[in-house]
Amino acid sequence: MGMGTRKWLALVLVLALVIVPLVGCAAPEETDTEETVTEEPKEPYRIGAVLSLTGTYAGLGAPEKNTLDMEVARINADGGVDGHPIEIVYEDDATDAAKAQAAVVRLIEQEGVIAVIGATGTGGTMAMRADIERAQVPQVSVAGGTVITSTFSKWVFQTPWSNSLVVPFTLDYLKDKGIKKIALITDTGGFGADGLAVLQAQAAKAGMTIVASETFNPGDTDMTAQLTKIKASDAEAVVLWSAGKEAAIVAKNMQQLNMQIPLFGSHGNARTEFIEGAGAAAEGFKFAAGKILIPETYGEDTLSYTVATDFKERYTAAYGKGPDTFAGHAYDALYIITNAIGDLDEGFTPSDLRDQIEKTDSFVGIGGVFTYSAENHNGLDASDLVMYEVKDGKWVLAE
Amino acid sequence: MKRSMGVAAWMALVAVIGAVPLLTDDRYLLKVLVFVGINVIIVSGLALLFGYAGQISLGHAAFVGIGAYASAYVTSGLGLPWLVGVLAGTTLAAIGGLLLAMPSLRLRGHYLAMATLGFNEIMYVIFREARAVTGGNDGLSGIPFPEVLGVRMDTPASIYLLVWGTALVVVFLVANIVRGRPGRAMRGLHGSEIGALACGVDVARLKIRTFAVSAGLAGLAGTLYAHAVGFVAPSTFSLEQSVVLLAIVVVGGTGSLAGPVIASIALTLLPYADALIPGLGKDVIAFLQDWEADIYGIAMIVVVVLAPKGIGGLIRAARSRSRAEETG
Repeated sequence: MGMGTRKWLALVLVLALVIVPLVGCAAPEETDTEETVTEEPKEPYRIGAVLSLTGTYAGLGAPEKNTLDMEVARINADGGVDGHPIEIVYEDDATDAAKAQAAVVRLIEQEGVIAVIGATGTGGTMAMRADIERAQVPQVSVAGGTVITSTFSKWVFQTPWSNSLVVPFTLDYLKDKGIKKIALITDTGGFGADGLAVLQAQAAKAGMTIVASETFNPGDTDMTAQLTKIKASDAEAVVLWSAGKEAAIVAKNMQQLNMQIPLFGSHGNARTEFIEGAGAAAEGFKFAAGKILIPETYGEDTLSYTVATDFKERYTAAYGKGPDTFAGHAYDALYIITNAIGDLDEGFTPSDLRDQIEKTDSFVGIGGVFTYSAENHNGLDASDLVMYEVKDGKWVLAE
Repeated sequence: MKRSMGVAAWMALVAVIGAVPLLTDDRYLLKVLVFVGINVIIVSGLALLFGYAGQISLGHAAFVGIGAYASAYVTSGLGLPWLVGVLAGTTLAAIGGLLLAMPSLRLRGHYLAMATLGFNEIMYVIFREARAVTGGNDGLSGIPFPEVLGVRMDTPASIYLLVWGTALVVVFLVANIVRGRPGRAMRGLHGSEIGALACGVDVARLKIRTFAVSAGLAGLAGTLYAHAVGFVAPSTFSLEQSVVLLAIVVVGGTGSLAGPVIASIALTLLPYADALIPGLGKDVIAFLQDWEADIYGIAMIVVVVLAPKGIGGLIRAARSRSRAEETG
């Protein structure tokens, strides 16, 4: 009989294991609807957000979520959009394309969202494409791969400057500095692979020769082997295209190898985690990105400057540090969607919302001034970019 | 008497599975049930290998991946029909199992676990690096829906019926294998390899065949996954997934098919509990998804410590008790 009781005990334990989390977590359920607790009788508009809150892009996903939290609270405090509160349903894709795809299915089928913000990464964004098109729900991506809008879908929009804007901008800068031979080091993820393709296509046009081209995988912890090969080449500069936390390792490894040639990055490195991760090795690192890092670059008498400084002040007050470009991408994505909702009459469909988003004209955001069209779902140009340099652990304008 | 009860049970099962799409048109629920059906197929094969033949595999997710990528490439890359993709995926995975089983024959216990674990890691690297075929780290999208004789299965209900129809056939076949001569030989092998040898069981052949069948079923599940979801990426076939699959079989219990099948249904549904329980908070789901691996791990430890024969053992105990009550 002793055995019998033990078996029953086991069964009870297994059941408890399954049930306890369900019941135990049922209580805080009420707090979940925080955003919707307003006196508004109207149904909230639900927008899905697939962000990388963990994984190698966690440093991008965090400011994106901070921004959405802050701005949605602000919109709802002002009475929502046409009296409807906005509710964001978050999904963490853990910087994994497969998880991003599963997440968008859940958002569309289970949560019934009318639009999707995300994913944080190019790989995740592209993985969602088939389901977005099948469900006919508009998607505003916050990832910077060119492929997102160059492989055109009428349902997909993009808020960051795509690589096809940033690569020529960066190459032109290199050319001005008299650099003719470059070495590339890129990650094999969506953004890095996309950057590599654009770099290869554009280098000759800018009069550059690629003398070495190396790759690494997201999650790699040492790039010494690749950099040793680059060191052996006659490259005059290294161009790094990666938005992951591995970028800091490249900078550090270059210092360890005592490489004297300059390192250039991309808008994927416009975040403090890079400076913190690379430490002293970050000094002199140059990258092109939007103007939010130093709002004065918008020009102090412009509307962009007013919008950006207001956002920067509120963000700094809420989170204790300034917003980076990724926060800006999320800001732009949210307001592009909510502005379009505001322009529509009650009872619109996700398809109507898509049409309205495409009509976005001269929206003054953080990344720049957006004008979408039936052919252009990126909506920015090179004038929205500036070149930064890391000096004394801070961003300054590069000469 | 016993046989007619068995037939009745199978018919009831078919009826219940077939009734689901008539009762609900919840697309999300049907998609979740598709994942459950796919895991039932994998776990049936793994139960055969681990639960009956006593051979451990920490590489089954890799076989699922071989099936998924092969079928995806054959259909969307080469433009061949869906059935050719399924056949190619299943065969390739079975051949992979055969090739892995042959050198691994010398290995037992921990060493076999390590060899299969290594296999999974190697395949994972290949899935990531063979970009021309697999699409690399960011995966392969645009895989077509299943299509047989011009009939495209592009609704959640039709995919559900396809996957569960296949799962039923697989479970039925595996149930027949374990009931027949190969099953007895496997149990003999599990009990004592030397004993089985002495009884005239060709142990080497049995091991290789079981491994190939088990890998082939994982490959078949992989092909279904690829076409049901339309997108495959390497992380779906990582070592972590292999461990989850093995955990399901351990919780289900050795020497049983019903146990692992029940365990795979329960444990696969766990992170998707919101599909079954309407109004379940987002926090609960986030909790279940964050702690998924831990919950599986704890379930496995509890089973190993308190009920080493798993759910299958509990079923058998309950059945023999009720039989004892009937006769006594």
